[in-house]
Amino acid sequence: MPMTSQGRILAFRLLVLAVGSLPALWLAGQWWCGDLGVVPEEAVVHLTGRTGLILLLTTIAFSPAFRLTGWVGIMIARRQMGLWAFAWLVAHMLAWMGLEQYWDWPWIAREMVELPYVRYGAAALLLLVPLALTSFKYTQKAMGFTAWHWLHRLIYVSAALGVIHFWILTRADYRLPSLAAAALVALTLFRLMDAVIHRR
Amino acid sequence: MPRYRYPTIPESEVTPRELFHQRRRLLKRGVVLSAAAMLPGSLLMPDTALAWQATLDDKLEGDLPRRGLAGDEALTPRDDATSYNNFYELGTRKSDPDVYAHKLITDPWSLTIDGEVDTPGTLALEDVLSRESLEERIYRLRCVEAWSMVIPWIGFPLADLLKRHGPTSRAKYVRFESIFDPDNLRGQRSSILDWPYREGLRLDEAMHPLTLMAVGMYGEAMPNQNGAPIRLVVPWKYGFKSIKSVVRITLTEERPTSAWMEQNPDEYGFFANVNPEVDHPRWSQARERRIGERGKRETLMFNGYADEVAGLYAGMDLQKHL
Repeated sequence: MPMTSQGRILAFRLLVLAVGSLPALWLAGQWWCGDLGVVPEEAVVHLTGRTGLILLLTTIAFSPAFRLTGWVGIMIARRQMGLWAFAWLVAHMLAWMGLEQYWDWPWIAREMVELPYVRYGAAALLLLVPLALTSFKYTQKAMGFTAWHWLHRLIYVSAALGVIHFWILTRADYRLPSLAAAALVALTLFRLMDAVIHRR
Repeated sequence: MPRYRYPTIPESEVTPRELFHQRRRLLKRGVVLSAAAMLPGSLLMPDTALAWQATLDDKLEGDLPRRGLAGDEALTPRDDATSYNNFYELGTRKSDPDVYAHKLITDPWSLTIDGEVDTPGTLALEDVLSRESLEERIYRLRCVEAWSMVIPWIGFPLADLLKRHGPTSRAKYVRFESIFDPDNLRGQRSSILDWPYREGLRLDEAMHPLTLMAVGMYGEAMPNQNGAPIRLVVPWKYGFKSIKSVVRITLTEERPTSAWMEQNPDEYGFFANVNPEVDHPRWSQARERRIGERGKRETLMFNGYADEVAGLYAGMDLQKHL
């Protein structure tokens, strides 16, 4: 029996829910079972950051996916995906403050000032705050479609800062940060080409 | 007449290289075991069939002199010290060296000492072991990544080894080289570093009584993931200086380079002394996470060994000579 259009949208939204939430359940389970290695604090900081960045890139990929398929369900679920990415990156910041700095505020402040990777990470997250705050339908209407779209292009800047943050932290094995950088470049190029072709 | 076709073997039937090597090792072990089976039961000593392991086990059974050089700080649990390692030959994740430890083949093992010495040579590890007296030394280990451990090493001063070979008057530096075995060491099949791993010390650093060649820890033979069968331990320098699985020690007139200096000269200097006042270009070195503890510790100058080693660097600007 073919699914109704509404049914397919619901199914896709449930998929986004699963992608956004299941890593958290998995992480909690690993923590509970003591399977996060010798320094579980470090593992949580790394895994929340990586998941956040992957979900942020996934959110950016929703727009080209819509262009290629034309299926409206993708655009309906985009806000949900973006908020999951934001939630993971907030969790990443809290994990860094609590599990890496142990809530030592003078050191948190000092590292934010002194260490470039912390600055890039903080800037990336800060840029996402207005996007999360204006992600509701009524703010979108209140702002006007064009202004809203311009503001939400900050997601590209935020993702770029996030990739730089990840890159700086890497010591020798650049496979994962390279992959993230390549994905971001490809997504940005697609968006620019699309804008040129459609003059938007 | 039909042309003869050379039989092609489908890819699926080719024995993977790893299995092939494993098979040869199993066969070798089988020969040893069947030879052992002919001996009276009292002489059967599984896993000590290899010459250097037997020599080491004999030495470990004796009462080794013990020196604690980490104040009253608690030892890092052995399980932590053997499953949280940087040994990129076995993989870049902290858990990889433990998981892939069996890929480091340590038998047989020989050590070459050459360059500016009166008597160069290549020695079987058992011959190196039998002429040195072992002792236990409890040292802090401070990684450049801002974590640390306290480890009871077993070994002998590098100075003892070097003196036996007589450094010439031209010897100014010591160059160390680690195992190169890309067939078995997965990390060496990628170019994250220029293999084999190499390190270097100034001769006076190498001759310092704290500088150890370690062959064991926690009362046992060195686990593979910690650099079996023989590694360097220089407790006042960042951990990457303490090269693992050493196969060659060369005394030189010129200052040698190291794998990390070549990979990133701006970040990894020749000296790499632990110094809380000089940050790594990308992260702070002022504090460290002691594995097994919550919270952070202040990092100590020369990792707490300033009284012993600061004299080596008298007159040197430690902000410049990294």
